[in-house]
Amino acid sequence: MKQVINLELNGERYEVAVAPHATLLEVMRRELGLVGAKKGCDTGGCGCCTVLVDDRAVYSCMTYAMTLEGKKITTIEGLARDGKLDPLQQAFIEAGAVQCGYCTCGMIMAAKAFLLNSRSPTEAQIRQAIAGNLCRCTGYRKIVEAIGLAAR
Amino acid sequence: MSELSVVGQRVRSPDAYDKVTGGKGFPVNVRLPGMLHGKLLRSPYAHARIVRIDTAKAEKLPGVKAVLTPSAVPQIKYHSVFFAPNLDPGMVRDMLILSDTVRFAGEPVAAVAATELEIAEEALELIDVEYDVLPAVFDPGEAMRPGAPQIWEHAPNNVAVNLSFGFGDVEQGFKQADYVFENTYQTQRVHTCYMEPRVCVVDSDRQGDLTVWSSTQHIFGLQEKLAFALGLPISKVRVVKPRYIGGGFGGKLDLGYIEPVCALLSLKSGRPVRIEQTRYEDFITTARHPVKVQLRTGVKKDGTFTARYAKSILETGAHATHGAVVLPVHGLMGFLLTYRCPDVKWEGCAVYTNNMIGGGFRGYGGPQGAFAVESQIDEICEELKLDPIAFRLKNAHREADPHPFNPNFTLSTYRLDECLKRGAQEFEWSKRQSAGSGSGTKKRGIGFACQPLWVSGCVGFPGIYEHSGAIVKLNVDGTADLSIATVDMGCGQNAVLSQIVAEELGVSADAVRIAYADTQTVPFDAPTHASRVTYSAGNAVKVAAGSARKRLLEVASQLFGASPDDLEVVNGRVRLKGSRAKEIPIAEVVELAGAPALTLGLEGNQRTPIADKGTILGTSSLAPASNPSPATAEFVEVEVDTETGEVRPLRALFAHDIGRVISPLGAEGQVEGGFQQGMGFALMENLVFDSETGSCLAGDFLNYKIPTAIEMPGEIKSLFIESNEPSGPFGAKALAEPCLIVPAPAIANAIYNAIGVRVRELPITPEKILAALGKL
Amino acid sequence: MAAAPFKQYRSPESSQEVVELLTRYGEAAVLLAGGTFLHGLAARGLMSKMEALISLQKAGLDYVKPQGGSLTIGAMATFRELLDASPVKGRPELGAIADALEYPPPQILNAATVGGSTASAYPLFDLPVALIALGGAVVAQGPGGRREIKLEQFFLDYFRHALGKGEFLAEVIVPKLPDRSASAFLKLETNANDLALLNVGVRVTIDEEGLCRGAVVAFGGGIGGVPVRAATCETYLEGSRLSAKLLDESAQAVTHDVHPISDHRASARYRATAAKVLARRALIRALARLGLEFG
Repeated sequence: MKQVINLELNGERYEVAVAPHATLLEVMRRELGLVGAKKGCDTGGCGCCTVLVDDRAVYSCMTYAMTLEGKKITTIEGLARDGKLDPLQQAFIEAGAVQCGYCTCGMIMAAKAFLLNSRSPTEAQIRQAIAGNLCRCTGYRKIVEAIGLAAR
Repeated sequence: MSELSVVGQRVRSPDAYDKVTGGKGFPVNVRLPGMLHGKLLRSPYAHARIVRIDTAKAEKLPGVKAVLTPSAVPQIKYHSVFFAPNLDPGMVRDMLILSDTVRFAGEPVAAVAATELEIAEEALELIDVEYDVLPAVFDPGEAMRPGAPQIWEHAPNNVAVNLSFGFGDVEQGFKQADYVFENTYQTQRVHTCYMEPRVCVVDSDRQGDLTVWSSTQHIFGLQEKLAFALGLPISKVRVVKPRYIGGGFGGKLDLGYIEPVCALLSLKSGRPVRIEQTRYEDFITTARHPVKVQLRTGVKKDGTFTARYAKSILETGAHATHGAVVLPVHGLMGFLLTYRCPDVKWEGCAVYTNNMIGGGFRGYGGPQGAFAVESQIDEICEELKLDPIAFRLKNAHREADPHPFNPNFTLSTYRLDECLKRGAQEFEWSKRQSAGSGSGTKKRGIGFACQPLWVSGCVGFPGIYEHSGAIVKLNVDGTADLSIATVDMGCGQNAVLSQIVAEELGVSADAVRIAYADTQTVPFDAPTHASRVTYSAGNAVKVAAGSARKRLLEVASQLFGASPDDLEVVNGRVRLKGSRAKEIPIAEVVELAGAPALTLGLEGNQRTPIADKGTILGTSSLAPASNPSPATAEFVEVEVDTETGEVRPLRALFAHDIGRVISPLGAEGQVEGGFQQGMGFALMENLVFDSETGSCLAGDFLNYKIPTAIEMPGEIKSLFIESNEPSGPFGAKALAEPCLIVPAPAIANAIYNAIGVRVRELPITPEKILAALGKL
Repeated sequence: MAAAPFKQYRSPESSQEVVELLTRYGEAAVLLAGGTFLHGLAARGLMSKMEALISLQKAGLDYVKPQGGSLTIGAMATFRELLDASPVKGRPELGAIADALEYPPPQILNAATVGGSTASAYPLFDLPVALIALGGAVVAQGPGGRREIKLEQFFLDYFRHALGKGEFLAEVIVPKLPDRSASAFLKLETNANDLALLNVGVRVTIDEEGLCRGAVVAFGGGIGGVPVRAATCETYLEGSRLSAKLLDESAQAVTHDVHPISDHRASARYRATAAKVLARRALIRALARLGLEFG
């Protein structure tokens, strides 16, 4: 049985009918047309679906939509403000941290959550912050560099 | 060469902005009105004949719009490999869209399309299949034994393909050897782990014309293979080029089950149909072939090769597909042609088993060869107390030698010696200790490996498409549109091709835009594979851009009253060579060329100064001239925990002669990403199947482990030894594949240096380390 | 792939209400805590169809409460909340918890819960092994009220625990440990987002003389259906004067009690060998927290 719930995504309210087992990822991609979070594995193994819930990084593929009423959800679509990219987005472009790009949105969101609480991170801390996000193209080096750039 | 302004610059990827803001251009995002969702029913048995399929209940389920079974699909045997023509005699046509015999666990037996994904899933559960389970075989060695279950009638002893290459007299060569070494090396099944799943949407119209969106490395290959499997002329199939795809690495280089099934479901229902594979389905769709390589190598006391012999047994799985091409590429590029030697012989076979189908994967037979060859050279050097760098240099090809693969070419640029010497110097190779000499429980070691010969495309391989074509069109705002079939799968193809066009036209890189394209609107291009795009497609776009520039200057010459030969384009402006007296922006030339012949103004009619009107554009369609080889060496330092067997790569240095570097940022990305894949291959990745049932045990990222940012070394240096390849676009050669070929043997050699024991079977797990150390 | 369909979603607002719903639905309901384990099962098609999904989200169980020297952790406290709780930081006796929570990636730390990871009864998880080392127990709440179950009695087999009908795991309790206690946890994994090939949680208590006055060495990972205590190793340690040699000998003794499994990730022989190394290293790590260096 679907139930209607209210979700707050990127500062906007959405009223959406969801099944008990529907994940945030499915609701975003199928119902709301928000396709920035990607499905790479659907079992919390790749991180492509990472979004922020109350400023914390979570795998949206294993977050049940029903549990999110009253929470603040931020996706990649909510990062740029007034057409101006978030420093992380800019740094990913500058550092060449984007290759195929499929992991990119999840990677940036994991980094975003991390930088909200970390001003001058070490390389080791940056690597731990993206340990739950797989990338098959870059070898992570330029991603780590980009996050370091954005932190500065 | 004249000074370059765009080539060699650290330009940003033209897709990066879109990708950091949501990445809408992936095929996984394609959705059409009225679209249905398809699912495949897959066999739980590794080898079985289907006695009966009852779909009545599934068809009655509300929301189900179409159901397919083997009897309802064309039974045209095809091979699925994009880059080889359908009827190529070297390929084995053993694929069917749906067959009444399944040969691996997970082979599809039926399909459903429904209005919702959940309904399609439910419908699968309502399909009743009666199987006659047949004996199965999962090990290639067992499969070749007399009495083993026969998987295909056309393949006695389950041998799908048998090949042999060589020159000289190898037995004579062994007689001249002072020492003969014999070792066997085994590699495992690994997955490309593209992050975007294989996904497609197929729509059909009332005349049965199909439009296909797919996460694919080759739109023309998909068109050709799909049309063939469906028994349609290719004009009935249009494949839309994705703006980019979420990785491929060779894993999206063949017709999957999903595209023909989607096409038939769409034709049957009259609606667009989408199938997205689950990660589990992706894991059982494509993988690198496991190869067992037996090496016999004769050397003189000083380390000169006198004879080299290898026998390779490649497991192709349930169907031959890529196995028929990976095998010769492995034999030739992975072994036979790597070093100079007068007497060489290679024999190999691709063997059927009831495991998943082997597929394409960056390196395509090379990594399996390099692991064997480069490990054994170090073993020989250790035994004979020879310097491994000097050993390789002694036996290496040299610049200006005839090309070992095709004597019509020469190795016009070839700098393996410089790769080794400069790489060794920067890595401080001279500080290397003798093997296993460290103290403490954690021991460090350094090692290296080479890929002495590789391709810039497959020029000269029989039966492989190689030509490329492009259209470059200039716009009235001074930008250029590049129309080309090449798919960017994350290796920076769009950046490199834009840069080449920009350089040739004399504009900035961001003035070049990659156009939307499909199989109807652009010339043929071979796939994004075989490290070929920069060289082969790069040459095609350079010619097309050059032809557009020629036309531009012809038009401009009418404005300058000078010969086109006296004009040049600099920073988007046309001028007399070397003169800044008069400069006309490209935009103005293009506009005048396209403006009406007569303009009506307040001061009366005016004739525009250009007489011959038209769009300024250039086109090309051409095969590459040569096959210049890149040369590669990689140095690695590792730390081995001798109590747990865990290995940590600490740093790596990659020295690579790739001709001129067009896009340094992208090139470094290739090196660093290649190391991730090579390190996974060396140490942890293993797509394991149950040896009794053939079901996949590693079908998710909890069981199939690839390196995360934590395991990767912090330092991966790219040292590009730039040469100026005369046949390449602005001097470029190839890069992509060797970046993944060399890490495994380099890591294996570094591990040996750390602990003094040799592991000849990948992946080198902690368990194998402890076993080799005698601690288990 | 979509998860197993549940007909209803319920979000009870008290523990009492949870028990009522469990009693009503019986076997036809599943509890949702952080969802990371549950969705993993569902996505792999390992869950049958259910009547109700009962979320513990609003049941008021997301607390970490120090009480005297003990720690009471609500079932819905996330790994992150536990890690950030002030008692866990810098207290040598709780080192095993901090160690175990070093391993998961941020997305799991933020979502996975103490109750969920325990009630899953999955021997490859990390936190339960650390909690066993600390003598942890669960509080089961059911129609008959609340009862405490020691973790070692709680785990029965793969995915099987000692909760009765209508009962659910409401709290985890870490008892007050004697002074001069320290704990540590270590894990063997292939990459940073992995289930344990093998893990170990240890706790040692020493007296003023430097003699060991209590030791727990517990293993999880590929060791069978439930985490195991290395009793022989513990006996070896207890009452002994600690030395590098003694730690080494006691670690060798883990093979008496730990009988690992072979699977596609590692053989039993490898795990058994690694168990000895892990035990020694974890003991050294714990003792270092008391200022005793044996490494």
